[in-house]
Amino acid sequence: MTTLSSSTWGNKPLAKKFAPVVKAAMEHYAQLTDDLNKITENPGLASLRETAKQQFLLQGFPTRRDEDWGYTKLTDFIQKPFRLEAGIHVTHNDIEAYLPDYPAVRIVMVDGWFSESLSDDLSGLPKGVTIESVCDVLETPELTDRVTHQEKQIEDEPFGVLNTMLLNDGYYLQVSRNVSMEMPIFVLHVQAQDHQVSNVRNRVLLEENAELTLVESFVSLNASESEFSGFTNVVTEIEVGQAARCKQVVLQALAPRSYYFNNQFIEQAENSVLNTLYAGIGGQTSRHQNHLKMNGKNIESSQNSACYAEDSQIMDSRTYTEHNEFNGVSRQLHKYVLSGQAVGVFDGMIKVAQAAQKTDGQMDNKNLLLSDSAQMDTKPKLEIYADDVKCSHGSATGQINRDQIFYLQARGIRKPQAIRMITEAFLLEPLETVSQPAIRDWLAGALSQKLNG
Amino acid sequence: MLLKVENLQAQIDEKQILKGLNIEVKPGEVHAIMGPNGSGKSTFANVLAGRDDYEVTEGNVEFDGEDLLEMDPEERARKGVFLAFQYPVEIPGVSNKLFMQTAVNAVREEKGLPALDMFDFDEYAQAKIDLLGMSADLLERSVNVGFSGGEKKRNDIFQMALLEPKLCILDETDSGLDIDALRVVANGVNALRSEARSFIVVTHYQRLLDYIKPDHVHVLFNGKIVKSGGFELVHELEENGYDNIIQQYLGE
Repeated sequence: MTTLSSSTWGNKPLAKKFAPVVKAAMEHYAQLTDDLNKITENPGLASLRETAKQQFLLQGFPTRRDEDWGYTKLTDFIQKPFRLEAGIHVTHNDIEAYLPDYPAVRIVMVDGWFSESLSDDLSGLPKGVTIESVCDVLETPELTDRVTHQEKQIEDEPFGVLNTMLLNDGYYLQVSRNVSMEMPIFVLHVQAQDHQVSNVRNRVLLEENAELTLVESFVSLNASESEFSGFTNVVTEIEVGQAARCKQVVLQALAPRSYYFNNQFIEQAENSVLNTLYAGIGGQTSRHQNHLKMNGKNIESSQNSACYAEDSQIMDSRTYTEHNEFNGVSRQLHKYVLSGQAVGVFDGMIKVAQAAQKTDGQMDNKNLLLSDSAQMDTKPKLEIYADDVKCSHGSATGQINRDQIFYLQARGIRKPQAIRMITEAFLLEPLETVSQPAIRDWLAGALSQKLNG
Repeated sequence: MLLKVENLQAQIDEKQILKGLNIEVKPGEVHAIMGPNGSGKSTFANVLAGRDDYEVTEGNVEFDGEDLLEMDPEERARKGVFLAFQYPVEIPGVSNKLFMQTAVNAVREEKGLPALDMFDFDEYAQAKIDLLGMSADLLERSVNVGFSGGEKKRNDIFQMALLEPKLCILDETDSGLDIDALRVVANGVNALRSEARSFIVVTHYQRLLDYIKPDHVHVLFNGKIVKSGGFELVHELEENGYDNIIQQYLGE
C-alpha cells in the first residue's frame, strides 16, 4: 500500500541519528505516552500506545529531507514541546462567538477532550444516530478497534503515529442504516490553553444508505494573544457505507502561532457519495490530508480546499485518492491565495487500480499570489493502471489578472476594492460544492473576514 | 464641449501609437472613428478610459471642463466616461449583479446620491432590462463567464445603460458579432442616445454605423485623424476603402 508518506518513512531498519533538539522533542512526547499509560485501565490501549511510541522513537519527526515534508518545515514546531494536561474550565460564554448561526447538533472538544457540559445533550439525538466520546468507548477494551480500524495506514503517517501514542479522546459518530441525519453535526475543536496538545482521534461511520452533514471548526480561544500557540493533531476515520452520503466541511481558523495536523482516512463503499471541503485560514504551520479509498463501484467523491495564508504561514493541503473499482467519479478543486511570505503546499495523487475501468478523475489546483515573496509548491500526480479511464490533473499559479482589475475600475470601482472582489471570488469558488446555503454562507463569511481583515 | 482632445500622443512599450490626435465632441453627438488595423483606434479608446498600459507623452484631454488624463480609471468612470470593451473580461465567481450594484453605487456616490440596496437595485436594473429588451438571467451569472461573444457585448451595453454615462466609447463592440447580435448592440446604443449623452464609436466596419448613423465620421491613420466628414464618408469608405484617403493624405 502506497500512501502519501514518502518511501523514506517507514522502512528503515537502522536507527536514525537525531539532532539534540529533535531527540529532546521525541523524548518529551514519549514521556507523555508514559504519563497517559500510568493512569489507563485498558491494557490493550496501553500497549497500542506503547507500540506506537517505540516506532516513533525509531523514526522520529520527519525532516526536510523527507520528500513529503520538504516544504512543510517543522523546525519551529519541534522547538516547542507541547504539554498534555486535563482540560481547563471553559464556559459557554467563551465559545459563543465560534458557534454557527444555523441549527446544528453541537459537540465541543476542549484541548482534545470531549466536553459534555458544552456539547448538546446527546441522548436526544434522532433514532439511529449515536455520538459518544472516544474516552467512553475506550473504557470498554473490546471496543478499542472502533477507533483503530485503519491503524496500519494511520501509523504510516508520522503524525498518525504520534496520534496513536497520545490516543485518549475524540468523538465516535455513527449513523445507522437508512437513517438521514437532517440537521448538521457541528464539532467545535477549541484550543484553550497555551502550549497544549489537542490530540483527537475520531471515527465516523455511515451505514448503508445513511446520510450525514458534518461540520468541524478548529479555533483558538486566546487567538488575540499574539504568542498563543496550541498543537492540534487529529486523526479521523470515516467510513461511508453502501449508497451512503457524507458531506463534510472543515474550517481551520486557529491562532497564527498554532500548529494543525489532520489526517483523514476515508473509505467509501459502492454507490456512495462523499463531499469534503477544507477551508484553511489559521495556524503557523498546518497540514490537512485526505487518504481516500473508493472501494466499490459507482462511487462519487468530491474533495476541495480553499486556503488563505499570509505573513509567514505555511499551509499544506493534500489528497491521496484511490479508485479501486469500476465507474468511479472523483472531483477536486484546491485553491490558495497567498500573501506576505506565506508558503502554500499542495500535493495530490489519484491512483487508478486495474479494476477501476471507466474512472473519471479530475484534480485542479489554482493559486493566486498577492505578493512577490509568497511561494506555492504544488505536485499533482496521476498513477493509472486501468486502460479505459478519463483522468486529468492541472495546476496554475499566477497573480491577479490586470485586465480584470481594469475592467472593474472602468466601471467606477476603486482599485483596492476591485482587487478584493476578484481575490474573494477566486478563493470562494470551491465553496460552490457545499450544497447547504447556510453552511456555505457561514464559511464564506469566515474566509471573507480573514481576507479583508 | 464635452470632450476636447488636443495633440494627443501616446505610446505602448516605447512604440508611438498616437501621434497628435485632435477631436472635439459636443453633448449629444455621435462620432465614429474608423481606420485600418493598427491605426490606433483601440489605443485611443483605452487611453480615454485610463488603461495604464499606455503612456501619454504629449497633449491634453479635457472632459466636462476637467483634465481627464489626471484621473484614475475609476474617477473617469464615476464622472461619466464609459468604455465598452473590445474583449469584455471574464471574472469568475464575481456575480454580475453584485458587480453592477457596486458600480452603480460608485457612480451614485460621485453624484451625491444614496446607495441603492438590493431591492432598489433590482427594480432599477429591471427597468434597464426592459428598455434594452435583454434577458434578465445575465444578472444571475458570474461576470461574462460562459457568455457567448454576443452576450458579453450585450452585457457591456447593459452596464452602459445602468451607469448612465455622459460619454460612451465603444471599442470595436461590433467585432465578431453576427447580424442579430449586432442589431441588439445597435438598438441598445440608439435607445441610450440623448441630448446630453455623446458617443465615440470605434469600428472597422460600416455595418454597425448603418444602424447608428453617426453625426461625424473620422478616419484614423498612423495615429492621426486624416479625414473627417459626415455619415456619407462611411459609404465612400465602403466603396473605395481606405486607400484613396490614405494616398491623398500621404500626398499632402
